[in-house]
Amino acid sequence: MLRFTFRRLLQIIPVLWIIITATFFMIRFVPGGPFTAEKAVTPEILRNLEAHYGLNKPLYQQYFDYMGSLLRGDLGPSFKYPNRTVNEIIGDKLPTSLELGFISLAVALAIGITLGTLAAVKRNSWLDYVCSSTAMIGICVPTFVLGPLLVLTFAIHFQWLNASGWYGPSDRILPCLTLGCVYAAYIARLTRGGMLEVLNQDYIRTARAKGASEARVVFKHALRGGLLPVVSFLGPGIAGILTGSFVIETIFQIPGLGREFVNSAFNRDYTLVLGTVILYASLIVILNLVVDVVQIWLNPKLKFE
Amino acid sequence: MSPTKLPSAVVTPEQIETGNSLWHDAWSRLRKNRLAVCGGATLLVLALLCAFGPFFAQSYQDQNLDLGAAGPSAAHWLGTDTLGRDLFSRILFGGRISMMVGLVATFVALAIGVTYGAVAGFFGGKIDAVMMRIVDIMYALPFTIFVILLMVFFGRNIFLLFFAIGAVEWLTMARIVRGQIISIKKMEYIEAARALGLSKRRIIFRHMIPNILGPIIVYTTLTIPAVMLLEAFLSFLGLGVQPPMSSWGVLIKDGAEKMEEFWWLLVFPGGVFSLTLFSLNFLGDGLRDALDVRSSKD
Repeated sequence: MLRFTFRRLLQIIPVLWIIITATFFMIRFVPGGPFTAEKAVTPEILRNLEAHYGLNKPLYQQYFDYMGSLLRGDLGPSFKYPNRTVNEIIGDKLPTSLELGFISLAVALAIGITLGTLAAVKRNSWLDYVCSSTAMIGICVPTFVLGPLLVLTFAIHFQWLNASGWYGPSDRILPCLTLGCVYAAYIARLTRGGMLEVLNQDYIRTARAKGASEARVVFKHALRGGLLPVVSFLGPGIAGILTGSFVIETIFQIPGLGREFVNSAFNRDYTLVLGTVILYASLIVILNLVVDVVQIWLNPKLKFE
Repeated sequence: MSPTKLPSAVVTPEQIETGNSLWHDAWSRLRKNRLAVCGGATLLVLALLCAFGPFFAQSYQDQNLDLGAAGPSAAHWLGTDTLGRDLFSRILFGGRISMMVGLVATFVALAIGVTYGAVAGFFGGKIDAVMMRIVDIMYALPFTIFVILLMVFFGRNIFLLFFAIGAVEWLTMARIVRGQIISIKKMEYIEAARALGLSKRRIIFRHMIPNILGPIIVYTTLTIPAVMLLEAFLSFLGLGVQPPMSSWGVLIKDGAEKMEEFWWLLVFPGGVFSLTLFSLNFLGDGLRDALDVRSSKD
């Protein structure tokens, strides 16, 4: 187990290096720089700006400089917000996005596992059909339709909640529900499938034969195996919630990192784009590792595959 | 899945004609699945409407500034937008682009995924290990982020959009095809093909892929909604299809901006888009049951 974790940790390094290098050169080969935007600046000013940010050095020099400062944990200055570093901007915006992501994930797991387990236990009953069709709705109504519809209903029509912003606790309800619902739907389907498979197995029959109560059979014996597909979905799921937050933060005008990332790409704020991509990539790769380890802990058979 | 043709035995021409029983069975099973049939019918109607509707409907760019944004009426069934353009025709025109993106990008994903998976599965050993390890690693990458960067930096070109989306969605297809290829690799008819001295390419494309068409079809049907979703997602961020072209994603974005006063601009495009996704998913699930594909279950 420890050896497996360690080996996977070592694999992370080349993956991250490839991502960073690819993004770095992709951005540098793009037509148009950060200072060629709206206002045309005079050639002298442009030269000074480029000298200030080290953009006049040869490309490989810039690359090594960047990698060097990255190793010290410094993501460099922002090109579009003078006097601010990328570290500051990320430190400022990331907590909001993390909060949004974690609450949404919790919502998704709570709704998804409940619906999926109910559907599997009461297989082919009306409850199963209701749960399964609710899950289908969640999959087929995308966040950028569901979000505005929820705003239209609860904020504009009933005026119970704010349409946008991120101030009080009630402002968390609509965004997190929107983002959570889609993944709740996937999780419900996976839970149902996993539980159905497990509930047919011999050890469940043994548990029943011992006289264990239905609740004990489901929660103590079946759920651990039944949730395996959900655990393996968590890797892509977390990545999806991260990118999904771009749209959610735009719809609800939440001052998070997702919206900042899309804006920085539009602005060609090289360092901010790079910094955000590196952060997201590391988050996703590390969370995937955690998911892998948890999966093996739950199902030791996988270790030998 | 059992092979459709067995190499030995003498077959008369009549038997060949009626020998397609696998597809026959699947078709009759599919017909019994009401949700899948409804999904297929809805898709057909939507596709026909989008393909031929614009010839009969009002032009999607005819403006009527005096009218402005008006709610649904007899003249404009689904209302008009702020420039007085008929929403119904705009949805039909947007649908053309959305469906085209769905089909073309899925085809790109299909071509990459099937070839990659078949090569990995067929050659096995070290080649397979390395190729599938690459897929594993790519699974863990934030691809949507790269698509966003591509679209921002290299212009919002619709061909780039096809390619970028296709390049993201092929991974699962590769895994499924590889698994299937491995499962039929050791069968006698493949051995017979080898014994006949056929080239590797011919064995893969002529003898193996036709026999795993079932899972490929099922997964293709389920890839189309994923692709359309990604296109709409990008368009919603302003990175996908650009004016004067419009897609359902673009219409939803416009609608979401103006929904406070003009609800129909959001509700109708969003409704049609969701309906399409529903139909595709139901049809895909139905096909999966009909073709009895177990390995590609979620």
